[in-house]
Amino acid sequence: MTMNMPELVPTVDVADELTLEEQRSTRRKRLTRRQLYVRRFMRNRGAVVGLVVLGVLVLFCLFGSLLTSYTYSDVDFTSLTLAPSSDHYFGTNGAGNDTFAQSVHGLQRSLTIALIVSLLTTFIAAFVGCAAAYFRGNAEKIILGIVHFLLVVPSFLILALVSKKAGGDWRVLIIGLTVLGWMYNARVVWALATSLREREYVQAARFMGVGSVRIVMRHLIPNIGSLLIVTFTLGVVATVLGETALSFIGFGVQIPDVSLGTMLADGASTMSSAPWLFYFPAGLLTLLTVSMALIGDGLRDALDPTSRSGGRA
Amino acid sequence: MIVVATNLTYFLSTAFLDPRANYLQLRPPRTPEQIAISLQRYNLDPGTPLLGRWWTWITGIVTRWDWGASPIGEPVNSEIAFRIGVSAQLVFFSVVLSTVIGIALGVYTASRQYKFADRFSQGLSLVTLNIPPAVAGLAVVLVAIAINQSVGTTLFFVAGAQSPTVSGFWPTVLDRIQHLVLPTISLTIISYATYHLLQRSLLLDNINSDYVRTARAKGLTRAEAIRRHGLRTSLIPVATSIAFAIPALFTGAVITETIFAWQGMGQYFIQTINKNDVHGAVAVAAFGALMTAVGAMLADIAVVALDPRVRVAA
Repeated sequence: MTMNMPELVPTVDVADELTLEEQRSTRRKRLTRRQLYVRRFMRNRGAVVGLVVLGVLVLFCLFGSLLTSYTYSDVDFTSLTLAPSSDHYFGTNGAGNDTFAQSVHGLQRSLTIALIVSLLTTFIAAFVGCAAAYFRGNAEKIILGIVHFLLVVPSFLILALVSKKAGGDWRVLIIGLTVLGWMYNARVVWALATSLREREYVQAARFMGVGSVRIVMRHLIPNIGSLLIVTFTLGVVATVLGETALSFIGFGVQIPDVSLGTMLADGASTMSSAPWLFYFPAGLLTLLTVSMALIGDGLRDALDPTSRSGGRA
Repeated sequence: MIVVATNLTYFLSTAFLDPRANYLQLRPPRTPEQIAISLQRYNLDPGTPLLGRWWTWITGIVTRWDWGASPIGEPVNSEIAFRIGVSAQLVFFSVVLSTVIGIALGVYTASRQYKFADRFSQGLSLVTLNIPPAVAGLAVVLVAIAINQSVGTTLFFVAGAQSPTVSGFWPTVLDRIQHLVLPTISLTIISYATYHLLQRSLLLDNINSDYVRTARAKGLTRAEAIRRHGLRTSLIPVATSIAFAIPALFTGAVITETIFAWQGMGQYFIQTINKNDVHGAVAVAAFGALMTAVGAMLADIAVVALDPRVRVAA
């Protein structure tokens, strides 16, 4: 990955060095920070593959329902447990549901849950972590105490309890996964923010009379933005895995709603007689998690100024 | 912390689980009074005030180490005692395997950074790290069924921990192994990659350090220098993460135990929730919290054993 790209000069370089080099080569141009990140990201082949796969998956779950005349809850009594055909692209399950329509809906469901939960947990973690670091003293001790306590609490069990009681409503699942999912990241953010709070611009803002919430939102959180972006992508992976696990053992999304986890559980019982019920949800899930992980890896390398894995610039 | 978390779980699960539901489907139907009387025997009757039930429960644990009983009267203690053994078999072999594979791969790929073997196994680890456990388990089942069919006999059993009909020492051992192989493989697939990637990046940090170069200059071979000097220091964080992973596996193997129908802790966890077994669910949570504490202790021991700078007074 150590490709040399001598015509690129990052914006962080001082101006006079740039003019010197500009004299040497007319092809050199300054890059904005965004261009720089995009270029570094694009250089990571795995990350680009991940992005393409994710794009295809998103298109699939947005427009996949247009490709078939069935909906995920339609029951076709004339075709039970049929292998994939031109009518039912992914076959049908034992109840006569079209697996293609179910996959589209399940992927939609899994992706929606994962994106919302990851967005919320990332934001809560950022805010709580930064606030704990900024306020110091007793407030910091109390917040960290709560975080540590929530880390010890058997979250998977509580999640299963709540979700089962709610009858597998996916909105309850989102709330549960969010409430029990932000603590670890908050701890990481806090550790970073303890060094940020000593910076001059934070001091300056405070002496100018800027409110504390505003300082946290405008001065602390944006400065850990790169960490938060990576946290977000990896949070999506973690949430997909968690939701799948819950749905698989029957405590997550429940019939008549469909997620990839429930489809897997469905396929598990007919592994040898109807393997296509397993192949499609399993394939989609693996593509989803692996592509997100690849993107997260690529982003981490692209956003980290000290990383060498993206090559120069 | 363990005590607080366990008590919190007790209150939460009493709020969310209704043991009366277990008696509602019985025929002939029971009156609410009959149900209350049955539940009272097991300290689960919602008619008794919550604090009263909690007090009976906690004194039972403190004085007699009695974790209560399920709504139909099975004692939690004996259930757990049996299931810990089952889970332990599964966890032990998969931890050993994934540790050995993970560290070996990490060392191998770190010493061949950016060569084909490194890139290939890194990509593979990235994939296996992110495969949902359910997918990994079911894929293993599919492969095993295919192998069984091509061989013609049942080489691997895809369900259960043992066959009920086998007797004699060696046949039993063989039977156990046949049952153990598949769940162990599927647990190993999803857990080795963490150690591989961690070991690789840590060893890469160390491999170019001064003391490894000094060791080379003294005349050690490259392999020996890496093993004796580079590996020793980079093993410490890996050992810590393994120590923390062992207890998590005990309750975390829920999916694998479900797929392979093992009567372990993970499967007990599902069962307690499905059967409104308040005491059982709390016991699982307490066991999980205890295991986390054990993991922290194991991690400390590992650091002391591996890090020559940490010396404990003998």
